[in-house]
Amino acid sequence: MTSTGHLEAPDGVVGESPAGSITYLEAIRTALQDAMREDDRVFLLGEDIGAFGGAFGVTAGLFDEFGESRVIDTPIAEEGFVGAAIGAAWMGERPVVELQFADFITCAFDPIVTVAAKTHWRSGQEIPITIRCPTGGGVRGGPFHAGSPEGWFVGTAGLKVVCPGTVEDAYGLLRAAIDDPDPVLYFEHKRLYRTLRAEAPPTGHRTAIGPAAVARAGTDATVVTYGSGVALALAAADEVDADIEVVDLRTVWPLDEETILASVEKTSRVLVLQEAARSTGAAGLILSLVARRSFEHLDAPPALHAPPDTPVPFAPELEDAYMPSVDSTVAALDGLLAY
Amino acid sequence: MRTEPCAETPSIGSEERLSLFRLVLLQRLFEDRVLALYRQGRIPGSVYTGRGQEAVAAGAGLALGPDDVVAPLNRELACHFARGVTPADVFRNFFGKGTSPTLGRDGNMHFGAPAQGIFPLVSMLGDLVPVITGAALAFKRRGERRVAMTFLGEGAFTVGDTHEGLNLAAVWQVPAVFVIQSNRYSYSTPVARQMVNTNIAQRVYGGWSIPAERVDGTDALAVLDTVRAAVERARNGNGPQAVEALSVRMHGHAGHDDARYMPSGMREEFAERYDPIDRLAARLRLDGFGSDAIDGMREAAAAEVAAGLAEAEQAPAPDPATAERGVYAAPPFG
Repeated sequence: MTSTGHLEAPDGVVGESPAGSITYLEAIRTALQDAMREDDRVFLLGEDIGAFGGAFGVTAGLFDEFGESRVIDTPIAEEGFVGAAIGAAWMGERPVVELQFADFITCAFDPIVTVAAKTHWRSGQEIPITIRCPTGGGVRGGPFHAGSPEGWFVGTAGLKVVCPGTVEDAYGLLRAAIDDPDPVLYFEHKRLYRTLRAEAPPTGHRTAIGPAAVARAGTDATVVTYGSGVALALAAADEVDADIEVVDLRTVWPLDEETILASVEKTSRVLVLQEAARSTGAAGLILSLVARRSFEHLDAPPALHAPPDTPVPFAPELEDAYMPSVDSTVAALDGLLAY
Repeated sequence: MRTEPCAETPSIGSEERLSLFRLVLLQRLFEDRVLALYRQGRIPGSVYTGRGQEAVAAGAGLALGPDDVVAPLNRELACHFARGVTPADVFRNFFGKGTSPTLGRDGNMHFGAPAQGIFPLVSMLGDLVPVITGAALAFKRRGERRVAMTFLGEGAFTVGDTHEGLNLAAVWQVPAVFVIQSNRYSYSTPVARQMVNTNIAQRVYGGWSIPAERVDGTDALAVLDTVRAAVERARNGNGPQAVEALSVRMHGHAGHDDARYMPSGMREEFAERYDPIDRLAARLRLDGFGSDAIDGMREAAAAEVAAGLAEAEQAPAPDPATAERGVYAAPPFG
């Protein structure tokens, strides 16, 4: 832990930083800062995000630069301040909400699903809000601080759900989300905050909301994944004795069906990898798509590698067994390739 | 017992009295008509009315300026009319027409009018309290002298969103006005079974230090006077304000509900003395308007409703092929 008092992801060992490189967390902070410098309509709402800089330090320094009218500390009232962000967006502002943990999105479910998601369809009124959700496990957070709740919103008409798995997309998807006229849920992975480091994307870079990326091209099998799964899949691909393609969804809702189908058509084998419990997340949607549209291209049943259907457990032994790892992903790929 | 005229309220001049009368008449006559259509089986879904509460809708609606914004609920039809929504617009929504404010995607009073500064109603009570607070936050951030208003009833006052929203409005000191419709029932449940202290104005002030006044919600002049004062206090930088308007819901919750759970005679006794339309008509008579003038306004409002209905009946039905349009303002895949 550092002396700032902010929560640190364990195992957050960041190596020597090459010049010009930034962490995933710094990419998020820079995206906020750049958006706020460019557009007065952008302001931040959330718990402890002001002088303190947020539970994870993502907004550190922004209060000093932009002041209390643009970096607003809220009472503990997710339902209230997400609703307020909707009202401000209605009036043409570009609010960016920080939920302290993605798990707390349950408290804001109603304004997100009832109000934000349906307003444009039933009135033509745009609701340009971005909700940042620090998500995911591997941080010893337990059942209320380590969940991956994106699946509750996958399939909800009117919402867009993005899950960056790289430094470049952490910046680019957040800039695109703030630009976007629709409500966007931005799931930023806590374990990647300080473990993922890469060259800083150019100022103003956007990652389009919607299109998936082929993170690694291959011919023998496809891994479809997102968020924390991207680095796992790339590491696992290096270890198996086959040529693996990795599709990084980036946006999990709405789904880029064509990129998934094109990859499966090429490789004829597909593994869906996600950190969300196996019956949630985006897996059901992806597997249904492949079953309906790729059936004749498949050489093996579509495979799923995801945690069991339990809340995220706390004890290191339990959480380590729960979370997908490089080794477990290699094993899943070996099974798929051996079929 | 006889109808009690609206209290003399010197701040409200003749022109505004007539505007209020037109609005309460329009709501009453529209709702009578739409309820009749519902009973004929011509309205899909439900019908919600605000009978007995028209003065609140009209007075609060007229208290707003043209650049202010508002989120009315089911009982505030006259507030829509005060903002320039027409009877034809609302009939189209009740019918589910393709050119309704929601393009047939939602019905009855569930619509907004973004161009007129009206946020679309959602059914989940209390949700719009934080939304209105956020709109007011935008005004405060930009230094605009605008006000955001919403309505809520006793039912919404028991929901968590309402309390979070009121707290945010108070902490941020934003120009929001909350008009509380205390009509004694939430669906079938009397207020005494929903809260212990039923003096909501007292609770709003005691809980959040939001100035809150109680007003007779059947007196359109008193409502306009009281809500306008609240709106102007908010506009002038005095933070959020609340008005609790007391009335009785004279219909059931919705068209299907005959309100048999209300004590026998309660609505009849209320109607005899406190019907908001009769009260304003009685005041206009005291002001010197003759029966011809008052009947003439009633006929004009009836004609406006009839013309709106005729127009709405001609509107096209929605085309199912268009239903997936507009889910997103920017569809990711076109």
